[in-house]
Amino acid sequence: MDTLLFLAPTGADHALSKNALEALAATKQLAEKLGAEFCIGLWGESPNADALANCGAAKFFTVNGADFAQPRYATDACAAEALCKASGATLILGASSPRWNRISAGVAHRLGGRSDSHVTGLSADNGVPAIARWYYRQRMEAVLTRTQRPWVLAIESGIAPAWEGAPGTATVEAVPCIPPAARTKVTGIESPTADQQTIRPDADLLFVTGAGWTKKQPDGQVKTPEGETLILDFLRLSRASLGSTKSLVDLHGEGQATLTFLTHMNQVGQTGSTPRHAKGLSTCCHGEEPHTVGWRFVGERRAISLDANCGWARGKADVLYVADAFAVMAQVNALLKDAQ
Amino acid sequence: MPEYQIVVCGSVVPDPLQTLEPVAGATGPGLKNEMMLPAWLDPWAGHALYEAASLAAKNPGSKVWLVALGPKAKLQQAMMTLAQKVPFELIALDGTAGGFTEAAETAAVLADAIQAIPGLDPSRLLVFGGWESASRGAGATMQLVGERLGITDQFQGVDEIRTEPDGSLRILERIEGGSHQVSVCDAPPAVLGWATGNLPEPRNNPQVGMANMRMIMPALQKAKPSPVGAEGVTFVSVSLPKQSRDTKIVKDLPPEQIAAEIVDWITNK
Amino acid sequence: MDADIVCVGFGPASGGFLTTLSRAILNPDGSTALESPSVPGLPLQVMCYERADDLGFGVSGVVTRARGLKESIPDLESAGIPMATPVTSEKILYLLDPVGASRRPFLMRMADGVLRTVGGLFGVKDDAMELPWTPDFLEKHGGMVLSMGQFNQWIGQQVMGSGAAQIWPGSPVEKVVIEDNAVAGVQLVDQGVTRDGKPADGFMPGMEVRAGLTVVADGPTGPIGQQLDKAFGIPEGHHTHDWALGMKFVVDLPESCTLEPGTVLHTLGFPEPEIFGFFYVHPDRVASMGIFVPSWFDSPARTAYRYLQHWMQHPAIWKHIQGGRLRSWGAKTLQESGRRGEPRLVGNGFARIGEGSGSTNVLTNSGVDEAWTTGVLLAEGVVELLKQKKLFTSENLEAAYVARRRESWVEKEGRIAERARDGFQRGIIPGMVGMMLSGLTKGWLAAPGKPMPPHRRVPHLENYYEGRIPAHEVRKIVKESDAKGIASHAALMERAGWPKIPFDGELLVSHQDALLIGGKVQAPAGYADHVEFLYPSDCAACGTKICVEMCSGQAIYPGEDGLPAFDREKCVHCGACLWNCARENPKDPESGLIAFRAGAGGLHSAEN
Repeated sequence: MDTLLFLAPTGADHALSKNALEALAATKQLAEKLGAEFCIGLWGESPNADALANCGAAKFFTVNGADFAQPRYATDACAAEALCKASGATLILGASSPRWNRISAGVAHRLGGRSDSHVTGLSADNGVPAIARWYYRQRMEAVLTRTQRPWVLAIESGIAPAWEGAPGTATVEAVPCIPPAARTKVTGIESPTADQQTIRPDADLLFVTGAGWTKKQPDGQVKTPEGETLILDFLRLSRASLGSTKSLVDLHGEGQATLTFLTHMNQVGQTGSTPRHAKGLSTCCHGEEPHTVGWRFVGERRAISLDANCGWARGKADVLYVADAFAVMAQVNALLKDAQ
Repeated sequence: MPEYQIVVCGSVVPDPLQTLEPVAGATGPGLKNEMMLPAWLDPWAGHALYEAASLAAKNPGSKVWLVALGPKAKLQQAMMTLAQKVPFELIALDGTAGGFTEAAETAAVLADAIQAIPGLDPSRLLVFGGWESASRGAGATMQLVGERLGITDQFQGVDEIRTEPDGSLRILERIEGGSHQVSVCDAPPAVLGWATGNLPEPRNNPQVGMANMRMIMPALQKAKPSPVGAEGVTFVSVSLPKQSRDTKIVKDLPPEQIAAEIVDWITNK
Repeated sequence: MDADIVCVGFGPASGGFLTTLSRAILNPDGSTALESPSVPGLPLQVMCYERADDLGFGVSGVVTRARGLKESIPDLESAGIPMATPVTSEKILYLLDPVGASRRPFLMRMADGVLRTVGGLFGVKDDAMELPWTPDFLEKHGGMVLSMGQFNQWIGQQVMGSGAAQIWPGSPVEKVVIEDNAVAGVQLVDQGVTRDGKPADGFMPGMEVRAGLTVVADGPTGPIGQQLDKAFGIPEGHHTHDWALGMKFVVDLPESCTLEPGTVLHTLGFPEPEIFGFFYVHPDRVASMGIFVPSWFDSPARTAYRYLQHWMQHPAIWKHIQGGRLRSWGAKTLQESGRRGEPRLVGNGFARIGEGSGSTNVLTNSGVDEAWTTGVLLAEGVVELLKQKKLFTSENLEAAYVARRRESWVEKEGRIAERARDGFQRGIIPGMVGMMLSGLTKGWLAAPGKPMPPHRRVPHLENYYEGRIPAHEVRKIVKESDAKGIASHAALMERAGWPKIPFDGELLVSHQDALLIGGKVQAPAGYADHVEFLYPSDCAACGTKICVEMCSGQAIYPGEDGLPAFDREKCVHCGACLWNCARENPKDPESGLIAFRAGAGGLHSAEN
């Protein structure tokens, strides 16, 4: 029978992120379905498991030390490997994050196992665990089982409601781990400036700009500067996250009118990101399949397009407004301003 | 000035603009009309290759290899476009590039091919690739290649690399919220899984193409058969997401009314 | 950069040329059989530059007798080329007009009336009558149904795999280099330029590739062919006045479809009498289907996309495809003057092959096999000259290539076909009679007719719709469409009785969806626009704007100040704008006001 280990790095505040708590809840659920027990492994400078004391874990393991504070491959992989070995678990689950995703496959390799990432579903059938995950950039979903163990998983957010419970006192087993010689030092974080528009996972709304913003409008004019103002005003007023179709980002290379604040970091879809927002509003975009794959995980979707026969009309949006986005967004901004 | 040996791992994926559909095959899932779909270099691997070429150009004496596992005919097809972009030496491995194979099996083949490069010097070695492919999309292969080569300085979602005056490497990795984590790695060897980077796609340069082609065609001709699969994995199902919604189409409504509806919707939690 | 032979364009003609040539360059043991004159010690250096982003993009699907192809590739049928299959049955369907909007001549309407009344006797079913026999000259029995995209990819792989030639996609050729009355090579397009061609970020001037022989195989609307015609003229009495646009869908057929792979249907009569249709069944429930819209269909609001949708919905077609799904889409200009459109085939340093060399047979409706064969013939001549260490002079190429071509079946059959379509200049019925006469008498007899450049044929919209839509209403519709920045044919056709298209998102999709779902059109950054309106004031004065109506991708649209505008991101490089212009070029009475040049991008589909 499989035994489970939920793994997470911890920072100075010892708190787990919402994603991690969701993955913990998913681990707990899977353990119940499998009739198995689960353990928790934490690493960091001084991880503390008390906040999770009542989550139902059979055991708590930690790897401590200043060397393990930095989010870097060599030390993170070393700590995770030690925790997995100490627990003897066959199913190892962590919440998808840059830090866990950087090492999960490598850890699996060190343990002689295999890994899967971007896991969006966990199930069990007759004691056999199965996962759901995406292929071809979120364009196909597969459910699979595997024989290899340990099986290391990176769990996407939204898989289960975050675990909530009262803190307590956890009995922790500290696992020895000798960090490798550090050749890499994390020196800091470069964040976008406050007025820089980007995809912000914490926003409720994703605003997606399509290539139409830079094209000729129904009156025959190109109105990119007006478009820029409308979009930036809207983002300021709504605090929405800003995404873009690939074609609009690509226009930068073409020496033609572009939205100057867009970069590849805004790109949603086939070769960009697949953000998860409760709501999404697409503007001046045709809604064609490869460009909309990035919308898979957006909850409620609405679109403004001049073409009543565009892709959005075919089941890709909940509501399609057949209208001129310039006119509509100007009114939206006016209403938002009034409301403030 | 450092003379890097930059090995880029990258293979072909279907042109992202194509309509993709899964089909069940004898050895597992695959894509409908897989061999008929136009093949391109995997986009993030492409960025890795362009960044590699740029780094090599800034550090004379450096060299770039491209290790590609894919069906020979498709690799050849993709090379005719790619070879015009930047100079590199191809190491072709003849096998599947489909997304439903195991990262571990692909990584084993790639690592073997890298280790077989004559004159490889770990103190100069940078292993580049896309942080995720547009096919399997697992973000696992580069880590596994690194592990197999014994490289534990690994970076994923890289958007920038800079050589500092002391020879160390300053690397920017994508993390949450549009931010980058800044790391300094003392020296090669290192593994970098690239995101978009900062370089535009290089122009097609026929002279670069000519120079590359002298090595590419022989490399394709001697491409080693490298079968990879998904041993141990059972695909219970592979399906296109049923994301069809019952779209309400709102026509002939003045912008003011549409705006009011939208504002109501976005402010109503 | 120096090469020995530079080839412009990779289609079936250069496929035949490079296949034949590459087999002669290297010995079976890999040693050099033909040495490079420019780089002694190396094998012959052969470069081929293809405009499209990949080999086999933006070409077409065909049924062909495949005589020339099979001579070069004896195992063609068993080579495993995707979508290829032998022809198993061939039928011609005469389509009646089920919607009542088709503009049929009186005689045709009479015939339709008879067929509808006593249709049972003639086997009329689903508003269509199967002709009792297929004339010999049209038959493709023993031939193949092919996807040219897949075939070209396959051939490209064989040629490249031989290591004897390089084929570079994504490399448009800007111009031919002419020095001292001889072609010295070509120049590729500039990159890193603005849309109007001015240097911008990452500017890289187009490289000159010099070669002893420039092989021009850039098709009917290719820029290098056009430049050679301008520089060296075309033979007396020859012209390229006749054109057609072929537009097609590749469709996944429904489970219910009972058509066997290799089935070939030709249609005539609907949506307009001048528009012919085709339906080829590939293996694995896939079909290529579409229509040809010819330059002698004198509608100033002609459109291929809209008519294709009406054609598909004809009951005789729809019954096969209903429940299927659009998979790919494409369009291409066809040179329909055939042998009479033959340019100067050779000159010092150059030779022309393929469709742009007038090889298409307008009687048998066959072009691919002929194009391939002209490539083979040139390669045979080139090998002969190289072995004799002779230069590629006009004289030597005449003897080695043109002489071969004159002796070939391509030439003999091309001559039979020469006058076959003249009758169409006077209407569909004289045209059909002329075709039959020509075909049955091996070219001895034909219906008379004088081909004219398209711009001299196109009537004004008001005249075309006279009796159907009042002139003031035509003008109103055009004005409204212009204001919306869209073509007017949809509104005009609907006003004239054509039903609206019941979009279903599967087979019947909007024009832009076809670009996005099926064909995938791309316009890489850093290249200049390849479509230019040469005389804007004349365009502004033009009330017809057939360029807008006929544009396959809606890339040309009504812009500001009454001028047509061009959006490169929608262009599929079909070349229709080159001949769909209603105004005469003030400097060249043979051409219109639109320049169609070398350009990058276009369709991303190799299934056509």
